[in-house]
Amino acid sequence: MARLNDDAQWIVLMGFIVSFSLFFLAIVLNQSTVVGQTTAEAVSEFPKDDIRGVRDIIIESVFMDDGGTYNNKTNVQHEIHLLTLSRGGAVTNFTNSTDGTYTYVEIHYNNGVTAYNESWRYP
Amino acid sequence: MVNSSAQLFTIEGIAASLIILLTAYIVVNSTSIYTPGDTHISNMQLEVTGSDALNMLNTAQNGTAVKTPLQTFVEQNDASGFRTAFLNIVNNKSGTSPDTIQFQANVTYVMAPLYTTINTSILSNSSQALHSGDHAVRVTEWVVADKTTKDFPECPGMFSACGGKHAVLVEVLLWRD
Repeated sequence: MARLNDDAQWIVLMGFIVSFSLFFLAIVLNQSTVVGQTTAEAVSEFPKDDIRGVRDIIIESVFMDDGGTYNNKTNVQHEIHLLTLSRGGAVTNFTNSTDGTYTYVEIHYNNGVTAYNESWRYP
Repeated sequence: MVNSSAQLFTIEGIAASLIILLTAYIVVNSTSIYTPGDTHISNMQLEVTGSDALNMLNTAQNGTAVKTPLQTFVEQNDASGFRTAFLNIVNNKSGTSPDTIQFQANVTYVMAPLYTTINTSILSNSSQALHSGDHAVRVTEWVVADKTTKDFPECPGMFSACGGKHAVLVEVLLWRD
């Protein structure tokens, strides 16, 4: 049997280690593009301003007077439902109640991707 | 007798071929994304500028209980007033020349007297129309309009069926010229 030449095994081993580490670095580089893209998309698709806007006007509507010549509160709240659904592509549901001391507002917002729920209390 | 010399070379060859195969697999299998110069970054900035501008316009002076400028523009359908105020905010910058942001603003509201259909009308727009090549972002602001004064086509006067306060949505398309 021919004698196996086992010289320079360390060099071969180092070659393997270096090539594998290069390989993993390549994977990291490869994934970084995807990660950057998805993060940026998630940030720009999150309806931050939509939620803020609809939240503000819901709370404003709670303090409007109802009845009399115009049903301000009923009208505005009805219009919030309709306009968020048709122009914002989002479903909103909100109720308000008062127990003499506090006014409570429950706000629910859902555009199919992002859901937002809030319990708001005043004062 | 089987010649068993150079077994190390054989093993090395197999390992190398595995690495090459794996590399080829990852390269072929990886997602390629072609984005023209990171457009989303400038879009996000434009969006922030626009919604800040609308926010400022919808803030009453010194926090008093008067109508906000945006409320007044919407109620009186004041196209030139909105144009001046809005462009002033978004196009002002340090340096000599102003920025070149263009816009088109729509008002969406629920139509009287049944309050079941919505209608969109143009509130105001800048000097340039939106062309197909322009990449616009959309920003919105809610306004409570008191339609007892002057107003939308279907609310002809004081004390009509659609009087009182109403929620309207101001939508602005913004793009850089």
